[in-house]
Amino acid sequence: MEAEVVRAELVLPTHLSFKRIQMYEKYPKGQSRARHWKHLKQILQAENFHNYPPDQPNYVNIESPPSLHPCKRICDITGFEAPYYDPRTNLRYANADVFKLVRSLPNEYVQRYLALRNAAVVLK
Amino acid sequence: MPFISQIERQTDYNLFPSSTPIVIDNGASYFRIGWAGESEPRIIFRNIVQRPRHKATGETVSIVGDHDPALLKYFDCTRSGPRSAFDNNVVYQFEIMEYILDFAFDRLGANGSQIDHPVLITECACNPVQSRSKMAELLFETYGVPSVAFGVDAAFSYIYNQRLGVCDKDGLALCPGFTTTHVIPFVDGEPVYKGCCRTNIGGYHVTDYLKQLLSLKYPHHMARFSWEKVEDLKTEHCYIAPDYSIEARLFQRGTKEAEDKTRVWQLPWTPPPTEVLPSEEEIARKAATKERLGQRLRDMAEAKRSNTGYASKQEIESAMVKVAQSLRKAKGEPKGEQADIEEKTDSSTSEKYSLINIPDNMLTPEQLKEKRRQVFLKTTTEGRQRAKQKRFEEELEQERKNQLEEERRLENPELYLEQMRAKYKELCEKVEQRKRLKTNGGHSNGNNFPGGVGRGERLNAAQRERMRLLTTAAFDRGKGEDSFGAKDEDWQLYKLMSKDNDDDDEGPDQDEAELARISSRLQEIDRTFVPKTDLGASQPASEVPRSRPLTREDFQIVLGIERFRCPEILFHPNLVGIDQAGLDEMAGVSMRRLLSKDEDLEKRLTRSILMTGGCCLFPGMKERLEAGIRMIRPCGAPIKVVRALNPVLDAWHGAAAYAANSQFQEQTFSRMDYYEKGEDWLRTYQVRYTL
Repeated sequence: MEAEVVRAELVLPTHLSFKRIQMYEKYPKGQSRARHWKHLKQILQAENFHNYPPDQPNYVNIESPPSLHPCKRICDITGFEAPYYDPRTNLRYANADVFKLVRSLPNEYVQRYLALRNAAVVLK
Repeated sequence: MPFISQIERQTDYNLFPSSTPIVIDNGASYFRIGWAGESEPRIIFRNIVQRPRHKATGETVSIVGDHDPALLKYFDCTRSGPRSAFDNNVVYQFEIMEYILDFAFDRLGANGSQIDHPVLITECACNPVQSRSKMAELLFETYGVPSVAFGVDAAFSYIYNQRLGVCDKDGLALCPGFTTTHVIPFVDGEPVYKGCCRTNIGGYHVTDYLKQLLSLKYPHHMARFSWEKVEDLKTEHCYIAPDYSIEARLFQRGTKEAEDKTRVWQLPWTPPPTEVLPSEEEIARKAATKERLGQRLRDMAEAKRSNTGYASKQEIESAMVKVAQSLRKAKGEPKGEQADIEEKTDSSTSEKYSLINIPDNMLTPEQLKEKRRQVFLKTTTEGRQRAKQKRFEEELEQERKNQLEEERRLENPELYLEQMRAKYKELCEKVEQRKRLKTNGGHSNGNNFPGGVGRGERLNAAQRERMRLLTTAAFDRGKGEDSFGAKDEDWQLYKLMSKDNDDDDEGPDQDEAELARISSRLQEIDRTFVPKTDLGASQPASEVPRSRPLTREDFQIVLGIERFRCPEILFHPNLVGIDQAGLDEMAGVSMRRLLSKDEDLEKRLTRSILMTGGCCLFPGMKERLEAGIRMIRPCGAPIKVVRALNPVLDAWHGAAAYAANSQFQEQTFSRMDYYEKGEDWLRTYQVRYTL
């Protein structure tokens, strides 16, 4: 290791006196390749919240309901209010100039703009 | 506000008795650790881990938090980006959490055989029990912590501000954090989770949105928009508009006010060296060289010409005859002798076709046969002659036209040239248009991504029409009564359907021939004329001057509407496709969920609304929230929104004050409790915030 790296103590030491079980004891072959943690979705599934009374607050049921306000439609490119939408690309646009731009956009960019509001075509 | 990184190793760890709790605010963006009862956390760093490979030795190392980026040049970070232990606001990767805790305790100065202090650590509201138990397990098993307490960051912040008189015992805590936004109602100083609500949007989404928008707007400078830089831009320039549509309209009209609100980030740019105009003598020198080269070429051509000379007069004459003959042949005229013969035959037509004018019934069968042959011969020769005549006339006509044109040209050369050019252009466009139509009917709208859209795009107009006819014929039959064939026109359908009706080539051929003629003519009389070579290659090249020199403006990042468009997603999460209530609406949802039926309580709640969490730092947040909540509350209801003293650090402050309380010990649980009481107990475990 370079001297300045050591001086800055950039790297976490592998042995720490205050630990009962060191990292290298937990994972003797280095970091395990296999996934041994659950994603939040799996954690929530395993919690079986539907077995508990619904009035008892839990991680799932404290989530906010969908908004009751009218959905705001803004131009995907400029951010102005968008009265129109282009049926070919599904992008919303504010005026004719933006429309010209929309039609000249390559598909990749169209999809990226759509992905911003989670409306892109996802291939599975 | 750049990233805070306060990671100096502490030396006074051993001065604290083992009863002093360690307080950790484990936020999704920042990790803060310090001692109970102190006023500031000791260590603050970003809650991320990188595991790059050291370039020299090749070993994989762990780097926690932010460090001097200059030092990272020794590491190969290409294969591992910064990783967080959080999914949403729940800790799920405890391996990463362990690295982070290692680093934190190490920097706090821990050097004993275990961490012999109670630990108070924050978690999200209604943390799933799996995450909570894993965290407890990690602290107990790996670090040997004697006892642990979990609390909610927003609650600690509220309590802290309540102690300092910023808000009341009853109130709402609005906490727009890094990955999620919470609203938690407080009654008598205790959080009521029944009325709590969470929207999965936060500062992370704002930064991400800004980053995406900028890199879509400036694809050439994409590399500039690192996460850290965009986060800086966000904290420095973003604000919350009092009303989004009004503010957006300001920008749309391009008013002075909007101009004042636009920020420009100038990227480093050095103007290209200006070209020095060539001096007089250099120009002269170049001209001389050119002249010399031209002279040489001319000389060479001259030499070539004189080399092919003839030796004698006879030779020249014979050559001339040969050339004339071949010329005539090329023109399609019959050879001289043949012409003579034909002339002769012409005169003797009457003898040759002797039988034609004699009626059939006066002839013998042999003669009849002969007569038929003669008739046939006569018609063919006559036809040939007619064609020849026609060709000759056409040539004459062409000659006349050329003459006329030449005259017109001589009359007024400029006008003529102008007309010629206009005609050329018109024809060019016509031909191009036709070609485009032929290759792709829907092409003309300029949206030409290759193979992007459905089947219709790939066929030309005629083919598409045929396809349509076929499908209607295939599927529409049998619907209602079948009247096909009742009219004669119906049968035209089959003709339209058949494949050979789309060779409509005569039109373009004519045009193209005319175009070729004009372009050759133009080439003759106009030296500056350059014919367009690739017709139909679409895109008139005049629009995009690609080789325009780059200017200062090309290296400017303009932050206009983005300044308030990005934070707007906190109030309208569906702008980024998250279908949940926004911040102001959440306050209403929270009160609805509380089901208090107690108007007094509701009034008390709205009279003390505390904003805490990093996203409260946006200017204009308070005014917008007040306006938004006023809209959903009954008229005249008291509304007061206050910002926490320090929206970012108050959770830790509150937790530190809380842990310093003498009764804190009762709120913790030990390793024994954890194993004896089991998971169900841990699920319902909750600290009392009012001690």
